[in-house]
Amino acid sequence: MITGRKGLISGALFAFLLAAPLAAGPKEKEEVENCLSCHGDKSASFKLPDGSVQSVYVDAVQFASSVHGTKISCTGCHPAQSELPHPDVKVRTKAEFSASFKDLCKSCHFENYTKALDGVHFAVIQKGGAAPFCTDCHGSHDIMKPESPKTRVSDTCGTCHSDVAEVFGKSVHGLALAKGSQDVPVCVDCHKAHDTADPKTTSWRLKTVDACAKCHTDKALMKKYGLSTDVVQTYLNDFHGMSASLASEGQSPRVITALCVDCHGMHDITKAKAGNSQVLQANLQKTCAKCHPGAPKNFTDAWLSHYQPSPKRAPLVWAVGIFYKVFIPFLIGGLVLQILLHLWRVMVNR
Amino acid sequence: MTDYAVRFSKKQRLEHFVVMTTFVLLALTGFPQKFYEAGAARFLVKIFGGLDGARLVHRVSGFLFAALTFFHLSAAILSTLQHKMKMTLVPDRQDFKDAVQQLRYYLGLADEEARFDRFDYRQKFEYWGLVLGGLVMIATGFILYYPMLVARFLPGELIPMAKVAHSNEGLMAFLVVITWHIYNAHLAPGIFPFDPAIFTGKIPLERLRHEHRREYDRLYGSDVKTAEAAGAAQEPAPEKPAPSDA
Repeated sequence: MITGRKGLISGALFAFLLAAPLAAGPKEKEEVENCLSCHGDKSASFKLPDGSVQSVYVDAVQFASSVHGTKISCTGCHPAQSELPHPDVKVRTKAEFSASFKDLCKSCHFENYTKALDGVHFAVIQKGGAAPFCTDCHGSHDIMKPESPKTRVSDTCGTCHSDVAEVFGKSVHGLALAKGSQDVPVCVDCHKAHDTADPKTTSWRLKTVDACAKCHTDKALMKKYGLSTDVVQTYLNDFHGMSASLASEGQSPRVITALCVDCHGMHDITKAKAGNSQVLQANLQKTCAKCHPGAPKNFTDAWLSHYQPSPKRAPLVWAVGIFYKVFIPFLIGGLVLQILLHLWRVMVNR
Repeated sequence: MTDYAVRFSKKQRLEHFVVMTTFVLLALTGFPQKFYEAGAARFLVKIFGGLDGARLVHRVSGFLFAALTFFHLSAAILSTLQHKMKMTLVPDRQDFKDAVQQLRYYLGLADEEARFDRFDYRQKFEYWGLVLGGLVMIATGFILYYPMLVARFLPGELIPMAKVAHSNEGLMAFLVVITWHIYNAHLAPGIFPFDPAIFTGKIPLERLRHEHRREYDRLYGSDVKTAEAAGAAQEPAPEKPAPSDA
């Protein structure tokens, strides 16, 4: 949280510093009109050294209605183009042209920019691969608030990750999202938006429990859907959860114990009681067998289905727990009492 | 020079050493798994080279403990059947009387402490606690190590039950050891700092006379002075009962 606060303060500072020159006063309006006298023409374009034609058209209406439309003028993002004629562009291909705008957002959105440098997408870019940076997800002259509506997020990620987006769309979260729910997680709620980590690493895998727990321990939110908030604690009390708590990041992913997603599914998660649910009693043996090949039918009863043991659910487990809860204090109390009595006698005898 | 009586055989001393070592290892690798949320749990697990390392140590120690228990009990049963061993550790009516007498003494209702034989009621309690508790730990540990095998023949609910029993029984054993055993073998007035009998195998005659008066009287006669008995005690005669434990 400290970094978040810092970011807020530095963000506010930036906003304050930049507000004065960038507020869309009459001077800025004039500048936009000036630029659009050329760039407002749909045929505005130039030829790149590799022969392709790059459009430089800007839709005036679209820009005006974007989040920046009333706040920044053209040179706010394109300071180098304030001269006329514009200096030569040193790019050879469309991809390079697009990449040349990578740092334009930095001066205002510094926190998210630096976060993105830690992200898995930037790591791909650094290795020379194709991966999105600021404008590829947010757009450029048409930037809108990212989560209005929330479906925009999964749609945006889905442009590249279409296979995952399709699976997610059919999941319990995806279906609710399509119906307009603002409670369900979208891609960035679990994967993060800017500092997106590589989901194939062990450390990321171990963090998935926290991602699920964020919503599934929220009492108010879960009450709305009639879901239990005991699920995380009962998981942790079980052998799997305890193993996950003590697992170290150095362990190979194979050895790491079952996490939420291993039984419930990840992008394809369903309602626990849906017919195709992996955790439905009828399908449980198969789900256990993913890690415990040949698991017998009785084996599924070893898992208490997120219930706390009670006389009705797992009476044997409950009874043994009660026995020790009574017997341990009774026994140890008796022994300590005898020790104290002995010491008292020794003192009196002196 | 202090005179000694032999109290524990080599086999018994070795058994105690193995139990002590495996107990410490089992506790060090078991409690981090019971109290997985504690900061010390992570630290301990790391010492054993991660969770897999800690579990390996736990299982090897567990098997060693189980083997020792099996060996110890079969040997004891066999020797008793062959009349080579007296059942000096089996609780009897006298132990009950001793316990009452001892409590009356603590409370100031009696002037004299109980006179104990070879093993007093506290030692018998601890021995049987270890044996019975050990059997519970071995049985539940087996269920937890082979859950698939167990579930093939028995209800699956036994597995979480075994987990609750194993972790609580372990906690109980640990608490008994750090209160009762540590007090009686280390901290109690007259013993402090350390009762070495289980490691050296011998006990000073004076202590034997004080702590196990009935055994002392049986061995040396109530009238015989300590000094006279000393010669015999250095090299215990074969007809005297070999230290027995069942």
